[in-house]
Amino acid sequence: MLFLTFRIGKDRYVLDARQVEEVLPLVAAKALPGAPAGIAGLISYHGQPVPLLDLALLATGQPVAEVMSSRIILLRYPEAGEGAALLALAAEEVIATVQRAPSDFVPTGVEAGMPAYLGPVAADADGLLQWVKAPALLTDDIRAILFRPADTASGEVRP
Amino acid sequence: MAAPDDDIKPDAPAAGTSAGAGGLLARPLPEGYRAEWARHIAAPRRETEAAQASAAKVLIFRLGREWLALPAGLVTEITEPRRSHSLPHRRDRLVRGIVNVRGELLVKVALGELLGTAEASDGERGTGFARLVVIGDAERRRVAFEADEVHGLHRCMEAELRPLPATVERAGSRFTDALIDWQGHAVGRLDGPALLDALGRGLA
Repeated sequence: MLFLTFRIGKDRYVLDARQVEEVLPLVAAKALPGAPAGIAGLISYHGQPVPLLDLALLATGQPVAEVMSSRIILLRYPEAGEGAALLALAAEEVIATVQRAPSDFVPTGVEAGMPAYLGPVAADADGLLQWVKAPALLTDDIRAILFRPADTASGEVRP
Repeated sequence: MAAPDDDIKPDAPAAGTSAGAGGLLARPLPEGYRAEWARHIAAPRRETEAAQASAAKVLIFRLGREWLALPAGLVTEITEPRRSHSLPHRRDRLVRGIVNVRGELLVKVALGELLGTAEASDGERGTGFARLVVIGDAERRRVAFEADEVHGLHRCMEAELRPLPATVERAGSRFTDALIDWQGHAVGRLDGPALLDALGRGLA
């Protein structure tokens, strides 16, 4: 199974490569004032607005470093009932993929209290890789804001 | 079930290369990088898959002074020019002789004679090398001709095609069905089947 590796802070994480639509350079995003924590804004992907989630901002409070190796991972985001939406993740050192068996990943033992998107870990020569579970990246309330169906997003207040 | 060794071995070189690449990629972003890429990504996709499929590949080559294009599907081989064996009792200008291409004897024609293209004078010769191009398809006989230079394959989009000017009156233009805008040259796209038919009649 192929994983895309990236870094948040000092640690390495992986995403299932099958969910990745494209890896983009760190493009400028349109800011979304008042957006939930971690949402860095909106990017336009060939005209389609895609919410940008800054993983470093979400996990450590610091936005991703503005260096060449920081990139945007465009993820096909599984959305119940509406096919797949796209979600952009800004992360650092998005420069490699790694081939690992899913069975290499073992539970960390400290799941309680951890964010839901952090999955099991696997060891390699450089330390540990942690599997980021894309579907759990956005909490229900953020998802409700970002992928709200069009009829309720029109801004009309219903009596 | 992979042994622990198998897990580490494929990773070891990858870790080395990613460390090297990581050093290069740790440079700060240049000024305007993010905004420029944002514009690029925001632009509509330049060529959809449908457009890719409809784009026709052509072989671009030069005969004398003129750049011409042939549908790539008709080109079966491009090879070094070789000595042609002249045919006795054939004094027409179209047939130049017989060439041996990997054991197959092919008629070598002077395509410039059929198309009426101008011969380049010595001063105008490009830097390219002459090539023997073999064309043909399933129904028609394969023939060879010598091009003064072969650029290679070019994928021509519908947007690059120009209609023929109405005033073109050269004999060769009856085989040209469109003009391709290519690197500042107007390249005549030859109607492959019509050209092969004409060559077949000329040889008969």
